[in-house]
Amino acid sequence: MVVQQIANGVVLGSLYALVALGLTLVYGVLRILHVAHAGVFVLGAYVGVLVYLPTGSLALAIVSAAVVCSLAGLIMYRFLYRPVLGRPPLVPLIISIGAFMFLEDLYRLVMGPYIKSLPVTIRAAGFETAAVRLTGYQLFIVAAAAGLLLGLWWLMRGTRLGLAWRASAQDLETAAAHGINTDVIIGVCFVIGSAIAAVAGVMVGGYYNQVYPSMGSVPAYKALAVIVLGGMGSVPGTVIAGLALGLAETLTMVWVGTFLPRDAIAFLVLILMLLVKPTGLLGRAS
Amino acid sequence: MSAYRGKWVNALLAGLLIVALAFSFAGCKPKEPQVVKIGVFAPITGPAAADGAAATNAAILAVEKVNNAGGINGVKVELLTYDDQFSSAQAVAVAHQMIERDGVVAIVSGSYSTPTRAVAPIAQEAKIPLVAGYAVHPDITAAGDFCFRNSFVGTVQGLAAAEVAVRDLGAKKVSILMVDTDFGRILGETFKQTVEARGVKVLSIDAYPYGEKDFSALLTKIKGLNPDLLYATGYYAEGAAIALGAQTVGLTCQILGMEGMDSPKFLELGGAATEGIIITTNLNRDDMRPIAQEFLQAYESRFNVPADMVAASTYDAILIVCEAMRVGGFEPQAIRDAIAGLTNFEGVTGVIQAFTPSGEVIKPVQVQIVRDGAFHFFSVVDDPAIITPPN
Repeated sequence: MVVQQIANGVVLGSLYALVALGLTLVYGVLRILHVAHAGVFVLGAYVGVLVYLPTGSLALAIVSAAVVCSLAGLIMYRFLYRPVLGRPPLVPLIISIGAFMFLEDLYRLVMGPYIKSLPVTIRAAGFETAAVRLTGYQLFIVAAAAGLLLGLWWLMRGTRLGLAWRASAQDLETAAAHGINTDVIIGVCFVIGSAIAAVAGVMVGGYYNQVYPSMGSVPAYKALAVIVLGGMGSVPGTVIAGLALGLAETLTMVWVGTFLPRDAIAFLVLILMLLVKPTGLLGRAS
Repeated sequence: MSAYRGKWVNALLAGLLIVALAFSFAGCKPKEPQVVKIGVFAPITGPAAADGAAATNAAILAVEKVNNAGGINGVKVELLTYDDQFSSAQAVAVAHQMIERDGVVAIVSGSYSTPTRAVAPIAQEAKIPLVAGYAVHPDITAAGDFCFRNSFVGTVQGLAAAEVAVRDLGAKKVSILMVDTDFGRILGETFKQTVEARGVKVLSIDAYPYGEKDFSALLTKIKGLNPDLLYATGYYAEGAAIALGAQTVGLTCQILGMEGMDSPKFLELGGAATEGIIITTNLNRDDMRPIAQEFLQAYESRFNVPADMVAASTYDAILIVCEAMRVGGFEPQAIRDAIAGLTNFEGVTGVIQAFTPSGEVIKPVQVQIVRDGAFHFFSVVDDPAIITPPN
């Protein structure tokens, strides 16, 4: 049972990491809390429903969701955040919260308030031994989180784009002074981050077979907990924090009891982290 | 000259008096309204919109049935529908609007406990009868003698579930998962006490928050305890997630649910994982009485979805009010008295034997099983000791 519960925690943690990765990219370079990221996540899930139901192709659903969400992310940056970049961080934060609420109601109006099903079936075989059992879909979730982490890692460490991103993350103005087009770098962050949110949306919607307008509200704040825990702006930190949170929730639920809802656990961990090490697991003091 | 004028004035006054008298006599004649207004409120928008739609659709169907049969003693029923948005604040506004502005003579709740609890004291204060279709909270009928309920109060359903677990399924060791709401806890705890008193071992009891989607941890734990029955309380979204979660972790024991899962959405979201799940509820799809079959067919052909517990319960609540008007007339007090005196009324959700003095319905609890993607008859609990709510 212990092994199985750890596996459950890793699957849940992978989902958290997937949702939070895009947020980390944006935070790393802009230092704004992009709450509306969760709205992009829900958009991805709905595009997934609209494409998967008629075609039956998960790959097509994920790619379409990623394309639509990248565009949505870029539009958000261009028209919501860029005009207020010089203002105190509270201004983009409030805009972001407003945008998220707007999106939730927009989905409700356009797609209806009902929970939609996204009955994804994949051909990948599951994995079962006496100690642990994972379905094909669960393996797919863990693989996707690992794959995206490695992909981002390579992008950050192995490419000129990554170098420019890291320079911009350290100091936007100095980077610009050295000839980096920071506007493009930020735009690329929104595109990649939103595409990852789309993948997360389709995968979460398919895992629970439920897509609904408010499905982003818990991820909206839980992703914040994950990026704070991971050290804001750290990609590997985000994945480690996502896994840690998934495991913490799963293990406390089973061995400590269900008197504390799982969402409360996330914030208890967040508060403890901020008290003990405000820069997060892998964050550096700025 | 002045005497003549005095006479003229007297004659005029006398004339006025006669006219006034005639009007006052007219006022004393019994009122024969052309139409009678019934208000129904439901969560038409918001998170419970699927149930809001089912409730209002069913109410429309019920009123059409009454009006197509010539109305109530020749008087047509006008149905006014209101959206409580699944919020008690909105429900309060709606209650005042129904009673003070629109002048309804009776109210039907096609909504959940939270909005209905807010409306009940207002209806009671205004002495307008309220019949709750499927809201289960005890406070609703506790608001006073104008408030009635056409669904099972939590304890009745918990007792009935225990009866199904022991009598029909022969469970010896059970686990319990309950949604952390009043409703979920009352059912779970009543079930626990009852089965324990009947010699069943309760291996675990866990509460989960409303809206939970990920049950892998809890279901893995339950799988390790190896129960022969899992009693799960929750609504359709959680119920479907539990069914899928059980499939994911490989938990194969019988799952027993409750009326919150009685929805086509449960079957849609849970898919094949819902096969074989048994629930206690208010509606028997295989009920062969003409009133039930007529409703089930009319609802599905009109709205293109099968009727569920919410629809059937709201439909019955409207019919109860209409029957009370037929018996007692159109004054709110008379309607209340007639509802309280109702016996053996044929509703879609079964024969309503009577209402208790505290306004709770007495009728058999239906037990349904999912077979081939649809709810079907499994058994019925009609033991008076179980289905008569405590006072």
